[in-house]
Amino acid sequence: MAGSTAKTVHDIFQSMEYGPTSSSAATAQAWLDHHSRSLGLFMDGKFVCPADRQTCSLVDSKGSAVCSTVCAVDHDVSKCVSSAVIGFKAWSSLSCFERAKVLLKMGSVLGQHGQCVSEVCELSKTSCSPSTLLRLLQYYSSWAQLRDSLITDWSPLGVVAVVASDDCSLYSLMQKVVPALAMGNSVVIVPGRSSAPPALLLAQLFMEAGLPSSALSVLTGSDVSLGAKVAQNPNISYVTYSGNKQDGVTLCKATAGLGVPVSVSPCVGATCPFIIFESADIDSAVEGVMETAFKAKKEVQWVLCVQESVLDGVVSRLRLRMAAMKCVALASEGDRAQVDAALQEAQKQGATLLQPCAAPPSGTQFPPTVLCGTAPSSPCVVNPPPGPLLPLMSFRSNTEAVSLANHSPHGQAASIWTEDLTLALETAKSLSVGSVWVNSHSMSDPCLPASGHKDSGTCTDGGQEGLYQFLQPSSSSSSPPLPRSSSISMDYSNFGTATSPAVIPNGSDPASAPKSYLQFVGGKSCKSESGSSVAVQSPEGTTVLAYCPDGGRKDVRNAVEAAIKVQPGWMKKSMSARAQSLHSLAKGLEAKRRDIAASINAQTGLSLEEADKEVELSIARLSDWAACCDKIQGGAPPVPQSGFALSLPEALGVVGVVLPDNRPFLSMVTLLGAAIAMGNAVVMVPSQKHPLPALAFIQVLQSADLPAGLVNIITGSRDQLTAALANHSVLKAIWYWGNAEGCQYLQYTCTSPLKTLWLHCQKEEKDGGMDWTQLRPSHKEEMWRKAVQWKSIWIPTA
Amino acid sequence: MTTPHLSNFDKNKPALDVPKLYTRGVKLWVSKVRVNTQAVLKRAQHIQGRKLAKKQWQAAWLLKAVTCIDLTTLAGDDTPSNVHRLCLKAIQPVRYDLLKSMDMHDKGVTTAAVCVYPSRVADAVKSLKAANSSLPVASVATGFPAGQTPLKTRLEEVRMAVVDGATEIDIVINRTLALTGQWEAMYDEICQFREACGDAHMKTILAIGELGTFTNVYKASLVAMMAGSDFIKTSTGKEAVNATYPVAIVMVRAIRDYFLCTGHKVGFKPAGGIRTAKEALVWLTLMKEELGDDWLHPHLFRLGASSLLADIERQIYHYVTGQYAAFHELPMA
Repeated sequence: MAGSTAKTVHDIFQSMEYGPTSSSAATAQAWLDHHSRSLGLFMDGKFVCPADRQTCSLVDSKGSAVCSTVCAVDHDVSKCVSSAVIGFKAWSSLSCFERAKVLLKMGSVLGQHGQCVSEVCELSKTSCSPSTLLRLLQYYSSWAQLRDSLITDWSPLGVVAVVASDDCSLYSLMQKVVPALAMGNSVVIVPGRSSAPPALLLAQLFMEAGLPSSALSVLTGSDVSLGAKVAQNPNISYVTYSGNKQDGVTLCKATAGLGVPVSVSPCVGATCPFIIFESADIDSAVEGVMETAFKAKKEVQWVLCVQESVLDGVVSRLRLRMAAMKCVALASEGDRAQVDAALQEAQKQGATLLQPCAAPPSGTQFPPTVLCGTAPSSPCVVNPPPGPLLPLMSFRSNTEAVSLANHSPHGQAASIWTEDLTLALETAKSLSVGSVWVNSHSMSDPCLPASGHKDSGTCTDGGQEGLYQFLQPSSSSSSPPLPRSSSISMDYSNFGTATSPAVIPNGSDPASAPKSYLQFVGGKSCKSESGSSVAVQSPEGTTVLAYCPDGGRKDVRNAVEAAIKVQPGWMKKSMSARAQSLHSLAKGLEAKRRDIAASINAQTGLSLEEADKEVELSIARLSDWAACCDKIQGGAPPVPQSGFALSLPEALGVVGVVLPDNRPFLSMVTLLGAAIAMGNAVVMVPSQKHPLPALAFIQVLQSADLPAGLVNIITGSRDQLTAALANHSVLKAIWYWGNAEGCQYLQYTCTSPLKTLWLHCQKEEKDGGMDWTQLRPSHKEEMWRKAVQWKSIWIPTA
Repeated sequence: MTTPHLSNFDKNKPALDVPKLYTRGVKLWVSKVRVNTQAVLKRAQHIQGRKLAKKQWQAAWLLKAVTCIDLTTLAGDDTPSNVHRLCLKAIQPVRYDLLKSMDMHDKGVTTAAVCVYPSRVADAVKSLKAANSSLPVASVATGFPAGQTPLKTRLEEVRMAVVDGATEIDIVINRTLALTGQWEAMYDEICQFREACGDAHMKTILAIGELGTFTNVYKASLVAMMAGSDFIKTSTGKEAVNATYPVAIVMVRAIRDYFLCTGHKVGFKPAGGIRTAKEALVWLTLMKEELGDDWLHPHLFRLGASSLLADIERQIYHYVTGQYAAFHELPMA
């Protein structure tokens, strides 16, 4: 830098280089100095600096020390969470109006200290403009105000832990904190390294805005393991995570079996396609690439997909625009090694490089680089290295663009560029990602719900839809579906491998021999792949009622294969056609009601009269879901930016359902109805104890007007089938009623790819508080919300 | 819409010396143009939002802006005396002592040209000659600003300005042709102006305020460049909307497009409503960002302005002395 200040006017006049732009950080420095540059933990409404703790120091982009944060230990965690419990009582007992007022006040407090917040963010290398935070506060303060009038029969969860990885931005973190507060929860923030100082500052400002002390606390640590420590505290009701995938998986595994639901938004590091069609404004599209692809710190990894007919135009413009770019600093020497290796590999495969200058032989400076001529199989696309690298692929047709873009484990977002409205909307619909930006990129607003598709998340953030992760149906507060427990030490590789006892033919009278049932896979009744069966006991447990197939891994595989074949067609069907099919299913059930009632009676010992009532209720339930088909819809929420934005509910795909023991028939029909009404296909595992009504239902399914393979029923050992479902990557969600061990197994296993889990640990006669005969509206709402994921489409206009 | 002024122009003859095939390619090129308005507006906001450098960087950039100015007077009451003043100001745009303190006094800091009406060209040439300066004189022509005079007189206007000593001619396009999509006719007309200019540089004014859409601006830019313009210029300064950043982005992207396809570098001249030093810096940033350093020199970039120079000089005064100048401390134009 010393050389640059010595530059004369004439030198600069000749070179016309950009000068240094200095940004002041005086306010932030003053705040940090006020805290002696060592920030404590924030609990009970104030900073606490316990003695004898390890500290973590933070450096700014120039490498000079900014401040240090405390690494909390177990004692701090328990102190903090117990104060958060008190905070929850204070905060949730306020009226909606009072909560809204606090959030609004926070907006104006933020207005006063905006400079300080943005400077602290800048120093911590997590840029976040106060205006986006302000928008979050304003948007959610109105939801805080309207909670009881628009979201009736739902109540807050309690203490919510919001965990972030080191590379998570402050915005992604606050995107979860603010709605959690707005719904009346108290929040414990476990920020990552870079978001820690601004999170602490915001917590302090929240107190100024009148938030009850200890409704918001901040615990800092050295890595994501602190998040797991916080989750272990039995007073935490929900853990939600934002950040990179790796730390998310670590957190999931570390919290498996604790009896606390964990949701993950791996917003950092996902691969996102940037598609330029020939009908695009190429110059603007290239400018979009320039803005987003070569940042020193980028949250997502873009892959540029360009239509072959305009490839030359795009490449020549990129070359011209990149010419003036300077090298970007990599995070470490290790990153440099990775980058070099990736480039070498790509070049070996024939990729050509587009760089403004050759890379310096060593060091952490690296020029922005476009890798032309890569393919989906290239290592730099499959495993993108860090740094300013942008793989470029070409495609021939519109449909090829979609398949290229969808051929990725990630499903976070995509940017598409075309002036053709029809093409834009068709493409947006076919991409399996949470956000689609048409002729734009990286836009966000709290009013739009977006779920990470595929491996990109297990929850919906934003909009009204995103609020439900912080709420529960009011009645279930007495017995949570997933009671707190401590994790069992279990051998995950052994789960579900116990062989079921072989059925020995006892050669009794053929007239009274128990019936052998078949299972239902791909629209056909069939035996299990293994060919063996298991005995079903009567309610008293004295006699063998029947034999049912002992399904296993291969049966699940066949079922999922059949299901994924028909599911896209089912989802594309018109809503009314879907409703018709459900009505016809109800009608078919009506015709067989005697048979079904008899099997319920035989299986559960429920009186025939009662059993008949249950079937009648099931028929009504199916009609209910049929009616819902065309009532559940997205919308066009008003966004502050000019233009349009759409939010669309989409089916998850194939859902695995391990059914409850209680009310085996009614619960199955209810869950089945919810899943397929929303466009999903299901693979169901009937209760191991009471499988007969489900098997009797197969005859109804066979005669119904549903695509073969949409509904599959596989009986057998619950654990074995649960393991089979957990290990099939096509499934996006598993709804589970079973034991604690199974819950822990699923939480531990369903991380790669991520599956959305809805877990219920059932004890005697209790199904996580759900009374299947009298389903409350909030329960029904919960069910269909579990069966959809949300996509947002941005169409900005002038 | 009829174009009566084209009577001397035989449509059956191949347009000038351009082969038909080329014309067809041109047509296809022009017809494929797509501009996304919101993306352009966002880009403009982004460029405007860039932090500008301070200190010697600011001074150097401002001096660069000075060397790109076409110092302009286009008023009904222009006389030899105010044109004379303008010429002398153009030769010494920033006070000598200020330049000296930055060691820039011997680096040839003058404006790029003076720009006047055709009738004042002779006065300007005379003043500059008397001052021993080789500064080029630019003249607006072709029925400036509306362009609504017969083609014959417009052509004659160009020839006379060249005879009087103008070495740069700012022509205006026929908006009627652009708005009705008669790109070929517009192309032919500009080709004729090009011929009439002879060796003089031709800057084509698109009058973007009257073209309606960004797509039209882009198409008009392409056509003007194909017909041999050395510069394309935003506006006359007499329309309701003048040089705006979004429109400029569209035009410079057309320049880039043309460069990528033909290898020819065409210059850009925003004009109208540019008054402050800060705006001048944004314009330079825009050129540097979109087209690169080559377009930061007077042979490819001009700023059409009259009052801008005074503000730049004030900023430079502040850089050198640390004080803000009173108006009378800096020589008037």
